[in-house]
Amino acid sequence: MGPLPIVTGISPKEGPPGTRVIIRGEYLGKEPNDVTGLLICGCDCLLSAEWKSSNKIIARSGPGKGRGDIIISTKSGGKGSCTVQFRGYHETIGPLKESAVWVEEAPLPGLSWGSRSLSHSTYHLEDPLGLSVEENEKKFPEDDLHEMFPEGSGDLGSENFEPNWFLLEHHHATSFDDLKVGLSYLKRKVDGQKEGQLSFLKDNVSSVMEQMDTLFLLKDKFEEDMKKHNTDTTTKIEKAINGANKLFEDVLSRRETADATRHALAVMTRYKFLFFLPVNIEHNIKHGDFDLIMSDYARARNLFGKFETPIFKQILADVAATINNLKISLHSKLKDMPTTLDQQKKIIRNLIILGFEGDPGWDAINSTYKYIKDQLILNREDHIAAESIQLDAEAGNIHYLGKQKSENNIQYEKHKKISNSNILLDTQNNTPPRIAFLEDIIEFILETFPEFWKLGQAYFNGELQIKPDKMKQNEFKQYVVNAVKLCCTLIRSAILPQNSDTELQWPHYSSSKQSNIIEIILLWLPHCIRLVQSLHSSLTNLEIPNESVEITSKLLLDLRIHSMIIELKKTADQVKGLSNKENWQLDYDSEYGAITQLPSEFEKLVSQAIQKIKESILETKRKEIPVLTNPTAKQELTVLINKIFLNFVQTLEVLGMISEDHDHAIAVSQLIGSPTPYSENDSSELTWEQRLLAMLSNCRYTRIIIYPKLSVQFHHQGFPSIDEPIRQCSGALSILEKRMIETYVELKSDPLVGTIEPSMYLGHFEWDTCLKPIDLRPYAKEILTNITAVYADVHRLVPKLLYRIISEIVETVAEELSRLMSCVTKFNSYGKVQARIDVMGLQRVLHQFMNENASCFFNEALEAVLPIDEYESNIIEEILNNFLKKMSLQLSCFIAVCPTKE
Amino acid sequence: MSKKTGTQPALHKVIMVGSGGVGKSALTLQFMYDEFIEDYEPTKADSYRKKVVLDGEEVQIDILDTAGQEDYAAIRDNYFRSGEGFLCVFSITEEESFQATQEFREQILRVKNGDNIPFLLVGNKGDLYDKRKISIAEAQARAQQWNVHYVETSAKTRENVDKVFYDLMREIRSRKIDDTKVSNGHGKEKSKIKRLKCCIL
Repeated sequence: MGPLPIVTGISPKEGPPGTRVIIRGEYLGKEPNDVTGLLICGCDCLLSAEWKSSNKIIARSGPGKGRGDIIISTKSGGKGSCTVQFRGYHETIGPLKESAVWVEEAPLPGLSWGSRSLSHSTYHLEDPLGLSVEENEKKFPEDDLHEMFPEGSGDLGSENFEPNWFLLEHHHATSFDDLKVGLSYLKRKVDGQKEGQLSFLKDNVSSVMEQMDTLFLLKDKFEEDMKKHNTDTTTKIEKAINGANKLFEDVLSRRETADATRHALAVMTRYKFLFFLPVNIEHNIKHGDFDLIMSDYARARNLFGKFETPIFKQILADVAATINNLKISLHSKLKDMPTTLDQQKKIIRNLIILGFEGDPGWDAINSTYKYIKDQLILNREDHIAAESIQLDAEAGNIHYLGKQKSENNIQYEKHKKISNSNILLDTQNNTPPRIAFLEDIIEFILETFPEFWKLGQAYFNGELQIKPDKMKQNEFKQYVVNAVKLCCTLIRSAILPQNSDTELQWPHYSSSKQSNIIEIILLWLPHCIRLVQSLHSSLTNLEIPNESVEITSKLLLDLRIHSMIIELKKTADQVKGLSNKENWQLDYDSEYGAITQLPSEFEKLVSQAIQKIKESILETKRKEIPVLTNPTAKQELTVLINKIFLNFVQTLEVLGMISEDHDHAIAVSQLIGSPTPYSENDSSELTWEQRLLAMLSNCRYTRIIIYPKLSVQFHHQGFPSIDEPIRQCSGALSILEKRMIETYVELKSDPLVGTIEPSMYLGHFEWDTCLKPIDLRPYAKEILTNITAVYADVHRLVPKLLYRIISEIVETVAEELSRLMSCVTKFNSYGKVQARIDVMGLQRVLHQFMNENASCFFNEALEAVLPIDEYESNIIEEILNNFLKKMSLQLSCFIAVCPTKE
Repeated sequence: MSKKTGTQPALHKVIMVGSGGVGKSALTLQFMYDEFIEDYEPTKADSYRKKVVLDGEEVQIDILDTAGQEDYAAIRDNYFRSGEGFLCVFSITEEESFQATQEFREQILRVKNGDNIPFLLVGNKGDLYDKRKISIAEAQARAQQWNVHYVETSAKTRENVDKVFYDLMREIRSRKIDDTKVSNGHGKEKSKIKRLKCCIL
């Protein structure tokens, strides 16, 4: 058993039957069903009991009178006790009694004691037959009576009284005799009533007469009084009545006011919901509890909307106005920017709850779109202003410096340089306005656009509880596309000034400033690409219409192409500039001879460029257009690479072919005694011919090694094939090589050939006065020495071309020899032998470097000399052998090395 | 009940008075059941009684929570007669309720025939200090004038709720002790002298 229930509080503590009482205490049951009994003043009130908690039960008092206990019984605790008591009283309210009645909102329970008590109190007639009614006997069923006498009634007072009904109802068990007795009783009673008046008079004649006398006496007395006092008594009475009325007027009016107050209170309580509504709504508005507002409002409208009472109408109108204001303010709030998606959604939801007519979702979309647009434009203007300020500042700086110019020219130049470099530094440290603009708008778009898009999605998916207007889907799409387009156009106009054509152009400045700006932008291009890429990828992730993604990807593509072109152009310029960087440090390669670092520098530049392009430009992500699939891009790429290559060829040509006058041509003829520049020239400095050879070697190296390497590299980096430019440039290189060789050969053979004749006839030598030959003549030796010198150079620098160059020189030498020999008018016998010895010696020594032409020329030279006999040929043989033996060291280069023919 | 009186603890009858809506019932219910009733439902006359421990002694407190509304002004006399101590409550946020305490005080004194009645002036709704209309000084001045204590409570936060009831019970207890002393002497005459002549229509 749990603790006993105990009642410790009662509200109110007294009242008439049916009073709603709140009973408080402890252990009043664990649940509604736990309460098994509730006695108030001894009356069972369990039926009306409403269990609230174990501390509180609400019930209605019973008909019990006087002070009494409140006893609650529970299943869990048993019969309890109380510390407070309830007093029941039956109240009669007269006009003089002050009272207050609280209007109960809850209807009385149907099964009330009241109806029963009323039926108890109805007046019960005594039986007209004077018979005692045996109530305990079985009653005649009432339904049967209704059936038998559909029109009748058993009620004695009723118009359609049916005696049979009455008898059946009340006396159906009475015996006939009894009924007869009853009938006689009734007859007696009726007779008694008829005769009553007369018999009454008879019985009381004397007293009646006495009364009559008294009345006459009274009349006389009265008339006497009237005469005596001559006043109408009625006036006094009237006065008295008036006085009484006055006395009660106050009371009555008090009652009236009490009634009115009571009524007003009742109305107030009953409709307190409505009266509190405006305050409640305002309170809820403050707390943002729009659900509550709306449900309250709807409830109020349902409950009171039909009433014609002006005050209700007024309150409802007030409420409606408040709600309207709220709607308007919310709606304007919806248009307040910037805001977050959540906020917008919340406001929209609230507007929907409040029954906003119109389309808040669409309004939100509209205003967001407008906001994005405006913000973009605004941002642009801000940055344009910033840029012009910056430019002005720079200009001012220069202008200020310009003032100093007159004072000190040199200082000015210095300053200018410093300030220029400062500006550059500045622009590298601080983002230039255009780039800042780009960053800002992209950041802005990245922030706002997804929300805008999501808002749209939410709207069209019906998440906002609005029926979306499907017709607007296209419009929204247009919005999205327009926003993206605007953004892209702005970006374009900021950083790709040359290919934007709208009125959104950034202001054009004077050419120097403009170029400065462009230069700065170029520095930042990769950054821009990254920014735009992030924009693009985030837009792609949003799955917005392809149309708008296409816009960004187009922009991205243009940017990339632009950037690529810039990069390649820069490389081309750098390649061109390589000529100034040539330091002529020779690097000897066994295969290709001496090369400078030029080709490797070239390779480095190109590979750097493609690396850079690859990294910043070609890296594409989802839904971006790969740059290289674009035909213009491809074409541009090819053209530019071609240009780079040609630039290099040009560089090589410039370096190789343009001679400087002072180190032109080494004199070849030592025999003539012309000064040999060799001794004067610093050995570390290369002569022009050597440079020519070095470049030649570079050409070959480039053609054979670098080009394939680059080709492979391009292939690896995913660039389209560059075979075509390579092929073209190889051609150009080959031509260049050929030209270089020709130049070189010309350069070398001209002096060489030129010295032959003077040397041959040196010291007034004549072929017909020739002495006995003992060796090759010095001119022949000189030819050999000169060729050896060339050989040395060529071998050192371009070993692969040794044969080609030497053979050509040999050819010219042979041609000259044959010319000289055929020009000889007369040989003596020695001269004959001598000439043969010379020619054959050369022939023998140089036979490895002889082409067909050369051997022809040698043969012609031999033929020009007179034929010889055997003895003479023996002598020639002997001398030649002797010569070869003696000179083997010097000639070893011609013999030992067997140069490959190319 | 009468047979139990010997073992039954002392009973102190407290009456809550004050204008309508100042929080008499709220104070009572907070004291009795630790609950705070938000919604306002005018009281007629409620009765509560429970055992409490007052300074180590088990006593019973009987609280009569009366109606503040003017409609009941006439029946107050009856209630007041049975009371031993009074908590005169007003709302610190309502000027009229404070003014009304004067009338209540007078009525009590009239009914009880004396001015040495256990009585506490209670300023309720102390949690609504930002809506305060009656300054503490103002209330204290009046309390001083009446020679009673002034306590500020909040039925909502339960601040000083126990204090007012216990303080009042202590006053009642000490008053009872005094009375038993005085009744042996000539207490009755004193009360007669103080009787005020008054009639109401």
